[in-house]
Amino acid sequence: MTGSLACLLLLGWGGTKISWEKAMTQAQRKATYGFRGPTAVAIREKVGQGLALAALGGFRGLAANALMLQAHTAWEQQQWVRVRSSLELATLLQPRVAVFWDTASWHLAWNAAVAAERYGGESNETRRRIEARRWVEAGRDLLERGTKAVPERALLFQRLGDLYWQRLGDYQAAAECYREAISKGDAPPYLERFVGYALDKAGDKKAALAYFRDLRAQMGSPPAPERRPEVVDREIQRLEKELSGGAPSKK
Amino acid sequence: MMGSLRRITAVAGNTFLEAVRQKVFAVLLVFGLVLIFGANYFTEFSFQEQFKFLKDLGYAAISLTGLLVGLLGAAQLIPGEIERRTILTALCRPLRRWEFIAGKYVGLALLLAVMVGVMAVAVAGVLGWKEAQLIARDGSDPAVTAAIRAEARDPRLIQAVLLVEVKLAVVAAVAVFFSTVATSTTFVMAMTLMVYLIGHLESVAREQWLESGEVVSWMTKAFLAGVAFLVPDFNLYNLIDEIVAGNAVLWRSTLEVIGYSAIYITVLLTAASLIFEGRDI
Amino acid sequence: MGWFRGRVLALEGLDMEVQRGEVFGLLGPNGSGKSTAMKMILGLLRPTSGRAEVCGYRAGTIAARRQIGFLPENPYFPNFLSGAELVRYYGRLSGMGGALLEKRILELLELVRLGGEAGKRPLRTYSKGMLQRAGLAGALVGDPEILMLDEPTAGVDPAGSREIRDLILELRGRGKTVIFSSHLLEQVEDVADRVIILHRGQKLREGRLEELLTRKKEWEVNVQGLKEEDRKELREWLEKRGAQVMREGAPRERLEDYFLRSLPEEKRR
Repeated sequence: MTGSLACLLLLGWGGTKISWEKAMTQAQRKATYGFRGPTAVAIREKVGQGLALAALGGFRGLAANALMLQAHTAWEQQQWVRVRSSLELATLLQPRVAVFWDTASWHLAWNAAVAAERYGGESNETRRRIEARRWVEAGRDLLERGTKAVPERALLFQRLGDLYWQRLGDYQAAAECYREAISKGDAPPYLERFVGYALDKAGDKKAALAYFRDLRAQMGSPPAPERRPEVVDREIQRLEKELSGGAPSKK
Repeated sequence: MMGSLRRITAVAGNTFLEAVRQKVFAVLLVFGLVLIFGANYFTEFSFQEQFKFLKDLGYAAISLTGLLVGLLGAAQLIPGEIERRTILTALCRPLRRWEFIAGKYVGLALLLAVMVGVMAVAVAGVLGWKEAQLIARDGSDPAVTAAIRAEARDPRLIQAVLLVEVKLAVVAAVAVFFSTVATSTTFVMAMTLMVYLIGHLESVAREQWLESGEVVSWMTKAFLAGVAFLVPDFNLYNLIDEIVAGNAVLWRSTLEVIGYSAIYITVLLTAASLIFEGRDI
Repeated sequence: MGWFRGRVLALEGLDMEVQRGEVFGLLGPNGSGKSTAMKMILGLLRPTSGRAEVCGYRAGTIAARRQIGFLPENPYFPNFLSGAELVRYYGRLSGMGGALLEKRILELLELVRLGGEAGKRPLRTYSKGMLQRAGLAGALVGDPEILMLDEPTAGVDPAGSREIRDLILELRGRGKTVIFSSHLLEQVEDVADRVIILHRGQKLREGRLEELLTRKKEWEVNVQGLKEEDRKELREWLEKRGAQVMREGAPRERLEDYFLRSLPEEKRR
């Protein structure tokens, strides 16, 4: 008798909990912008048994860390294909870890690309450059995926800006990325000046000047010292001089 | 009321002491060594990565240790007592059967809580050590120093510890439930471990059951429904991963998961008491 | 009886009644159903049919269990506890506490002769006899009306057995009812008032020991100082009266009594 009562209780609770679990899962999914990582079943298809078991046991973080370690070791041995596949798996397992995307893009768009350009298998320099460019683009694509997975933090937008600036020479795009990064609220203080620098480097001095003027006005009085108002003032003066016909000074 | 509390405390205290005598805290030493080893292993990575590795390692170690202790402890709970016949002297007292179950659970949960607490303090200590190490190495830029400190002293880590503890508390309740149903210690341990693993798949089963409009065999549907109804959703505790990743997690979300766990535990213990009531010893 | 084993009929058609203040023995070989009967009285098992009552309460209810103190066969106690701590644990399990419980612990340890230092040592240093006495103290902590003992002297040396039997008699003197099971029949004889004999789940015999064991048709006289030649004359006188001499010769003392008598005084404790 009491046994059937227990069964009833368990089943009753079972039915109730399902809708609650569903609601909580949806709320969690929303808070993570839909990126909760693949199900344990999907993982099994992509990684070895040990890592899949770790992920199944709720130790997803350890599995992803192991993959990042694998990428690191592969990097030390210059095995770029392995670097890339490990990084892709790690970011697949834990898409919400911003620093993974960061490191991943660094390995692809910087390390791998430079290695391809300098020491790549091709004898022809042009071919090596093309190969390098492919790595940079792979890094950019990865980082763009990252900004969708962790859209609330400045870090990946900042990195993307760095990538456009340093590896692709697209300063307009860099400026846009930096702008986006600042809007998140947790960007380092110097980044706001970088928007202006990027606009300047892109050749759009008018926009750069306008931007710096806006920025200085925003700083209020007294301006916070870490925002370096004196540097902004200097830039405003320099740009004004250049735009009014003076010789372009070294920047 | 007072008598009830006394009786439950008596059972709980006895359960706790018995575990302590069996030197269960020695396992904490192994845990400590693992942490220290981990702290020194990843030094070529960026500081954010080092902290993430350490936090993951720490919380995974706490979970595994807690799981181990929980499984072994659970085996002692009732089948162990039946095997050693100590249960006879307890149950012939004017002690209600549900009080016995409650006491057994409280003893086990208390043990786990103490262990998790100690281990969490150890993790915090190692993070602090890492912080000092990193600042000594890279600490010239105040922005970087601030970032390092923020990672090490993240107040959200408290939520992570709570979630780890509460997850283990649910596993302990599952173990107590199986204890009342089973007669052998290995059965209890095996079933509890199985529920732990399947619990991480429950959300998949639930979603497939709820949303499969496709033609799925009725047997599969029944199986999926069974899992969805009977097994806890352990993926809910993945908030821990978010906290370790350094992302914001609202207290509200954590508290909701804790509330869910508390109710789940109550249901399991009630069911266990009901079954135990009707059981011949 | 677990879920996956077949059900076994352990007891059938048992009608049993124990009076207040008597010492009642459950006798029978292993597997005869003694433990089953005890467990049903305690409420650990449920009868498939029929009823068990204790002091007017249904067996197994809290009120019934309050009336009984139980000492199982070969109990394992958590042996890191001391004697006093064991009694305290059982007291707490019965809902007692505080100064009242402490007083009771001291009283009971004195009663079972485990007072003072002995009560403070851990149980794993105890002999079997001491363990049984500690268990007895634990069973008595709630001041129950009835004491149930399953094989109380199994594995205990003769001196210890005698102590336990003395305790049982003392408890009866205090108005307690004692039910115990044993297959050490010699020892049962010394203490029990009434017994029931079980075999394979069925009741064979029941009744007061005096009535069951007395060979009513015979009469025994132990004589001292009768000379050899007078013995022959006595035999003839008896036969002339129509009596039949069934047995003659020097009576034998029981080995147990001889053994205990031989031990020096302090060893008998």
